[in-house]
Amino acid sequence: MKITTFAAIYIGSYEVSMKVFEIRPGRKIRQVDYVRSRLELGLDAYSKGVIGYELVEDLCQVLKEFRSIMDGYKVDTYKAYAGNMLRTVSNGLFILEQIRIRTKLEVTVASNSELRFLSYESMAASPAFEKMIGQGAVVVEVGGGSMQITLFRKGTAVTTQHIELGIMRIWEKLSKIRNMVSHYETQIQELIDKELEIFKRLYLEGQDIKYVILMGDYIGEMVKGFSKKQGDGAIESERFLKLLNKWHKKSPKDIAVELNLVNENDPLILPSVVLYKRLTEEMNADFVWVPGVSIDDGIVCDYAQKNHMIRFLHDFDQDILAASKNLAERYQSYSGHTDSVLSTSTAIFDAMKKVHGMDKRERLLLQVAAILHDCGRYVSLTNQFVCSYQIIMASEIIGMTDLEREIVASTVKYNSLPRPPYESLRDKMDKDSYVVVSKLTAILKIANAMDRSHKQKFENIKASLRGKELIITIETKENTVLEKGLFSAYVEAFEEVFSIMPKIKEKRVF
Amino acid sequence: MEKEKDFLKPEYYENRELSWLKFNQRVLNEARDKSIPLLERLKFVSITSSNLDEFFMVRVASLKDMVHAGYKKTDIAGMTAQEQLEAINKDTRALVELQYSTYNRSLLPLLHNHGIEIIDVHEDLTPQQAEYVDHYFQENVYPVLTPMAVDASRPFPLIRNKSLNIAALLMKKEDKKEEIEFATVQVPSVLPRIVQIPSGTEGGRTFLLLEQIIERNIQQLFLNYNVLCAYPYRIMRNADLSIDEDEAEDLLQEIQKQLKKRQWGEVIRLEVEEKVDSRLLSILKQDLHIAQEDIYKIGGPIDLTFLMKMYGMEGGDELRYAPYKPQQVPQITPGEDIFAAIRKGDILLHHPYQTFDPVVDFIRQAAKDPDVLAIKQTLYRVSGNSPIIASLAQAAENGKQVSVLVELKARFDEENNIVWAQKLEKAGCHVIYGLVGLKTHSKIALVVRREEDGIRRYVHLGTGNYNDSTAKLYTDLGMFTCSEAIGEDATAVFNMLSGYSEPLTWNKLVVAPIWLRKRFLKLIKREIKHAQEGKEAFIKAKMNSLCDRDIIAALYEASKAGVKIDLVVRGICCLKTGIAGVSENITVCSIVGNFLEHSRIFWFHNDGQEEIYMGSADWMPRNLDRRVEIMFPVEDEVLMDQVRHVMETQLADNTKANILQPGGRYEKIDKRGKRLVNSQEQFCEEAKAAVPKKANVYQERVFIPAEPVN
Repeated sequence: MKITTFAAIYIGSYEVSMKVFEIRPGRKIRQVDYVRSRLELGLDAYSKGVIGYELVEDLCQVLKEFRSIMDGYKVDTYKAYAGNMLRTVSNGLFILEQIRIRTKLEVTVASNSELRFLSYESMAASPAFEKMIGQGAVVVEVGGGSMQITLFRKGTAVTTQHIELGIMRIWEKLSKIRNMVSHYETQIQELIDKELEIFKRLYLEGQDIKYVILMGDYIGEMVKGFSKKQGDGAIESERFLKLLNKWHKKSPKDIAVELNLVNENDPLILPSVVLYKRLTEEMNADFVWVPGVSIDDGIVCDYAQKNHMIRFLHDFDQDILAASKNLAERYQSYSGHTDSVLSTSTAIFDAMKKVHGMDKRERLLLQVAAILHDCGRYVSLTNQFVCSYQIIMASEIIGMTDLEREIVASTVKYNSLPRPPYESLRDKMDKDSYVVVSKLTAILKIANAMDRSHKQKFENIKASLRGKELIITIETKENTVLEKGLFSAYVEAFEEVFSIMPKIKEKRVF
Repeated sequence: MEKEKDFLKPEYYENRELSWLKFNQRVLNEARDKSIPLLERLKFVSITSSNLDEFFMVRVASLKDMVHAGYKKTDIAGMTAQEQLEAINKDTRALVELQYSTYNRSLLPLLHNHGIEIIDVHEDLTPQQAEYVDHYFQENVYPVLTPMAVDASRPFPLIRNKSLNIAALLMKKEDKKEEIEFATVQVPSVLPRIVQIPSGTEGGRTFLLLEQIIERNIQQLFLNYNVLCAYPYRIMRNADLSIDEDEAEDLLQEIQKQLKKRQWGEVIRLEVEEKVDSRLLSILKQDLHIAQEDIYKIGGPIDLTFLMKMYGMEGGDELRYAPYKPQQVPQITPGEDIFAAIRKGDILLHHPYQTFDPVVDFIRQAAKDPDVLAIKQTLYRVSGNSPIIASLAQAAENGKQVSVLVELKARFDEENNIVWAQKLEKAGCHVIYGLVGLKTHSKIALVVRREEDGIRRYVHLGTGNYNDSTAKLYTDLGMFTCSEAIGEDATAVFNMLSGYSEPLTWNKLVVAPIWLRKRFLKLIKREIKHAQEGKEAFIKAKMNSLCDRDIIAALYEASKAGVKIDLVVRGICCLKTGIAGVSENITVCSIVGNFLEHSRIFWFHNDGQEEIYMGSADWMPRNLDRRVEIMFPVEDEVLMDQVRHVMETQLADNTKANILQPGGRYEKIDKRGKRLVNSQEQFCEEAKAAVPKKANVYQERVFIPAEPVN
């Protein structure tokens, strides 16, 4: 049995960590080593917009040591991710270059959504997770610069919101007034409440949430003292809050002592306590669960899953579809027409498998585009394409990368607008993605055209490939002049992309 | 809360320095024990002497520092530094008195009976011997002597710490003014302190001390002078090495600097011969800036550590214990795969009854094993030509990742440590020079091996240092395991020592300075709880020293609650037994035997779910707060029984055990009508009996034809 030794490295806003794993097909992933080094990159990143050379020096040193630990274990492969702050700082590119030259490590700067997805994956590897989200759960992932809240209902993701409120950012925002106020914790609370208030009003009303799942720093230490837990590892919110309320009034030093933190003057501990406290209170859930996993765990799960070494119980694609549907409903654009476009485009995609060369993932993107293709109408009836694009770009859908979001949004946009040449889009996507957008647009356009009247005149739509023709068989008992007439307008675009001529074959049903 | 305070009353505690002196007294008692072979008794005198030297250099010196600094806080027994110094002075004098009376009145006559003479006054030499001595002086001693005179142009020279010197008063020949001058000469440490000279009797052996040879010939050093008198003396200096680590940019350099500085410390003790000339003494006193109370007049040869050399002399085997050969560990056959042996189950090692070889082999095999990825080890007080160091260097050369934590702050061994630490670095090992502010005292070795079903970690945990020579003299316990939980913790320990963040949780190990104290208090509290609920509750523990206030207070509380506490504490014990309502349920015994008791065992009854721990830490503040220590559980039932047996046997010892009495005195057990138990001897016998019988080699032998090599 082949064992893969894998190292996952994550450069976060205040910690650089590495986990070494052994992946054995069909068995649980085994953690072999875990090293963490505190490095407050975020402090520079959020306050100065650039990471100072001393810190870069330290970072390279730590990574060099990681490298030698990796070599010690003779790891087969590794993945190294850096948090979003490396993208926001002005010297991010050079830091990556320095790391590459000095440590021979290739570091990927992950976007926020990718990172959140990674930790989401690590969490989903636990069987308890599936049970909890089935009963209604909120997953809150607190990072240094921001946090992400995902709402689950009946086992799938309803919505994901990204809030620019991380532990480090809170501390940084209040750093100017910290010495001027006597009740620092109240200031923290006010800052947090403002952000949470909106989320709560928009998404939590009428939601029955049983579990709040907390991920982030210090939270592991905070719940360490709870020996009595539910079977699934959850803790009653009441008990958890009681503890946090007790700490709330203490000095950071006292808290640090209780948590056994190395740094007794940890400036981030108080913001964390207040943040977790407010989150738990606002979510109003019965239980708190701390899965105790980190992004490193997510990195290995992601790698193992992509290389078919493990299979998740949880269907992440369903999350994406469910979240898209929820988004469409939010903008009152979900209708029979949407369903019709969804099924037609999917049918066309499946029939064309041999020709278009796209896989499951693009199929999913097509479906998301189909679901969301009308959402801009909520804002403007005339300028809906641009508005749809904007809405999609501004929404978090858990499990989709930034690039994928761009692909979906562009597919929707150029569904109606003429597709510009690649040169004018090159700052948004690479060539391959441009081709994907073109293909998806071509399919979406046809599917859309077939329900031009939004009356779902066609039934039992089937698509099949015959030589250089795509035969779309439909059944209808209505007048289809409009659809047929407009269909021909999109044929050309389709042909241009696939070199296939789509044809409608009508079966009259009486 | 009120009650807890009660247990902290100073009268419930013994001062640690005075308790230490009592320990040295117990060692001296061994020298007075008639049932012990003569040369062994000499050895014990020598040990008390070198113990006392170290005690002065470290403890007395630091008390002196406190007095100089005007430090007024009292210790747990309510004594100020000044009060402690006074008490120490008194007790030390009594101890030295006893030391020399033992030497002069018991040991010398006994040696004489066995035909061994130690002549300590050169005037007693026969003419034939005198001639030999003078010749020896000319040939060997004279060339290495550096006499130093003191006058207006030559200031008082630096007298080296712990070195033996001879001071003389001189007068220039034909000097009308009769001016007396002072001179001093160091007794060279490169020459043996005892010199065998021709014996007057047939088959006898006679020794003379080096300083006597010099004294006899001192005239030769000052040819233009008349030597009025000459007496040996020795000084002790403040040698406690306290580095301000916050300022030390490079720890290594700082220690090297301190080593050179150490000789310049303040003089805290002056030993002179009893009959010393008063003019000579007053010059010494003035120039060494020493107070009257720190002068010790000695009724015999100064510095009795030379007796260790006597102990090691050739011949006279009948005057020593038969040497004990550490026995094979039954589970580990020498020369076979040690990792396979460990995979069969945890293995307990009891040194020196069992051999230390498996530990050396563990590293040696790991260094050569192609499947081994990494070796990590903490080293503290390692012997210079240690095979472990050679193996570690070899492992690094074989491309394994080798991390070694070298503790430079080990007392008096620094110079030695730096040398081999640099040797390891050159071989490609990753050497960590300790943690700032903390001494790394834990003894742990980790071997990471890539096996068929993934990475497996082999761990050795011990109570003693990785020192193959002390492993023959110190009683220590060690354990080999490949338990995954302990392996993970071991990796975490080394990550922590390498400067990474501590792990979020520990599986099995308990690590000082952060978690150990709390855990001990929690374990004691749990016994209290059981006792209060009317269940059986006991604590049996063995350690080197017990002087932590919080732990003692917790033990008092436990005793009061009805927890039965039996302690085996070799050295310092600040706990007092038999205080009504406080410590009636506590017994303390101290075992001083042929081997130095060094293992630490902590055994908690826990209402039948017994927990047994071993580790590197004593119940001392320095172990619990300022050191990196590891305590590990013994969880295998077989091993637990073995450890229980060790503990029970020691508690049953009635030969070498001294029981702490309510008044603070240690007394031997009345042996009448009892089966004699000498735990150390019993362990020796048991270890011999446990060695698997060697099967008859000739019957077993089968010649195996070699397989063709593909």
